[in-house]
Amino acid sequence: MKHYVQVASEAGESSDRPVWKDADTLDLAYVGYGLLIVTLVLVSYVLGAFKWLPYDPEYIRVDLLNAPPGSAGHLLGTDFLGRDILSRLIVSIQAYFLPGLIAIVISLVLGTGLGTAAAYRGGKVEVLVTYFNNLVDSFPRLVLILLVIAAFKPDIYYIMVVVGVTGVPVCASLVAGKIRFLRQKNFIEAAHVLGLPTHVIVLKHILWHHCTPLLVIQATLGMGEAILIETSLSYLGFGVQEPTPSWGNMVQAGANYFFQGKFWPSTAPALAILSTILGFHLLGDGLNSILEGKRGT
Amino acid sequence: MKLAAIRPITLALSRELVLTALLLLGVSVVVFVILYLAPGDPFSVLLEGQTPSHEARAGIREALGVPKPWYAQYLSWLGGLLRGNFGTSMRTGLPVFGELVRVGFHTLYLTLGSMLVTLLIAVPIALRSSVRGATGLNWPLTMLAYLVSALPVFWLGYVAIYISIHQFGVFPLISRVSASAGPTWLYALLPICVLGIGNGTLSEIVRYLREEMSRVMVEDYIRTARAKGASVWRHAFKEGFLIPMTEIIAAKIPFILGGAVIVEQVFNWPGMGRMAWQAAQDRDFPVIMGIAMLAAAWVRVGSLLQRVVYVAVNPRASKEGRRVGRAE
Repeated sequence: MKHYVQVASEAGESSDRPVWKDADTLDLAYVGYGLLIVTLVLVSYVLGAFKWLPYDPEYIRVDLLNAPPGSAGHLLGTDFLGRDILSRLIVSIQAYFLPGLIAIVISLVLGTGLGTAAAYRGGKVEVLVTYFNNLVDSFPRLVLILLVIAAFKPDIYYIMVVVGVTGVPVCASLVAGKIRFLRQKNFIEAAHVLGLPTHVIVLKHILWHHCTPLLVIQATLGMGEAILIETSLSYLGFGVQEPTPSWGNMVQAGANYFFQGKFWPSTAPALAILSTILGFHLLGDGLNSILEGKRGT
Repeated sequence: MKLAAIRPITLALSRELVLTALLLLGVSVVVFVILYLAPGDPFSVLLEGQTPSHEARAGIREALGVPKPWYAQYLSWLGGLLRGNFGTSMRTGLPVFGELVRVGFHTLYLTLGSMLVTLLIAVPIALRSSVRGATGLNWPLTMLAYLVSALPVFWLGYVAIYISIHQFGVFPLISRVSASAGPTWLYALLPICVLGIGNGTLSEIVRYLREEMSRVMVEDYIRTARAKGASVWRHAFKEGFLIPMTEIIAAKIPFILGGAVIVEQVFNWPGMGRMAWQAAQDRDFPVIMGIAMLAAAWVRVGSLLQRVVYVAVNPRASKEGRRVGRAE
């Protein structure tokens, strides 16, 4: 028995050395940038929630339309109605933050459940889960969302449920793959031999000890997806409606002025989208490489 | 000998075919359930076109006295789908099927063209870094791929439109069909390039192709080929190029179709995506259901073709169980 316990600690790859000591500099840079973005998003979310903003995001100034960054105290300039762009960018985070978290929770919980069931039960359950995954993957995400919008209403929470469900297959197949890999390990075998109940092995030894990094990575990438969907939909006019800002409808609102050469009101939210999604992608891939030992790109 | 070799492949392919049919059936159930749960009575609208006349339909309803049960609604809707009857659009009053065929071709050009653009960018990068290994160019290329994948495609569309207005003097927002004068190829090329670059799949495709090619390049049979002076490319082609390419293309079809929804909106392209947008605005159920079915059918056909290539190239595949056709 002692032998198995020793093997378990070896096979569990738990060394006292912190992981970031062995990590690649590039991956650390990715994770650092990602964490910076996450902090910025969190801080902005709190600022927006309490309305601690430099200006009222819906206050119209007719004397200062499409002002360039830095003019008259507006750090990032103003849009086509003279509204402060910085304040609008900060408030926009309200549009996706909570709904995005809901989508992530749905895809992680359902995905982990289905993945575990498929890998541990095998047989018919696995066939069913594979069928479900293929079925969900058959729909282009935006088309399915448009179908739900047509059937119900353009509500961000409905949309995020769809985003959550369409995120299930990736999560399920990753968890299933991980569990299939872990089941061959000595320490899981040892746990079975020791007579531990299966739910304890699955929940504690497999999911808690070995799948948390994977789930954190999936959550990070999921937030990037949620932002992409939210901005795309509010660009298409189905998300948050004017005058409430969202990065997507800000890009859309600035379009006409963009073609006239006033790039900024449209470009500022586009850059916000770019840097935020990039941050979540890099964080996810950097963590993947550091924690799971998979080289990203 | 020939027959013995062909039979397992035929079996494998018929299994794929049955699976595709089952998945499409599932797709129709999902679409039906979403619409069935919708407030209002979308299905009475949907089934309107199936009975010969208004009076007959009213008569049937009257005779039954109650609305049809859900399974009868589903079966009659599915029966209509199989006969090519997708109902009539609530907005235009035209049969949905004809409209779908018309816009489907526009979207087909757009998505196939942009897939080509994506591959024209991704394949050289992947080939270069898998054959040459890590070079000084690796890092900037990786960074570029990340940046491009995070770029919002609608903003990229604006940049392209702005450049085309001010550099080429062409206003590309007039849709391709209605533009009679001027260089029409530009109207088509611009959205195709924008979708090809901005559909968010570029970095994943580069990564997947590079991983697969690098894996194959160090296989024993490639070393043998190299040692005896045979063409490495010819030996590595099937496993290192053809299979990963078809796999990643099939896996990315839904993403490209999703991107098409936005790009068609930006460029006023008369395709499925724009029609879906319009239908979602008007709550035009027959149209949006038809589009969802058609899009899912494309995805399934794409992955069926991928399996066909896979089984044809690798006869061993017919013996092993079905692999989940997902590229991670």
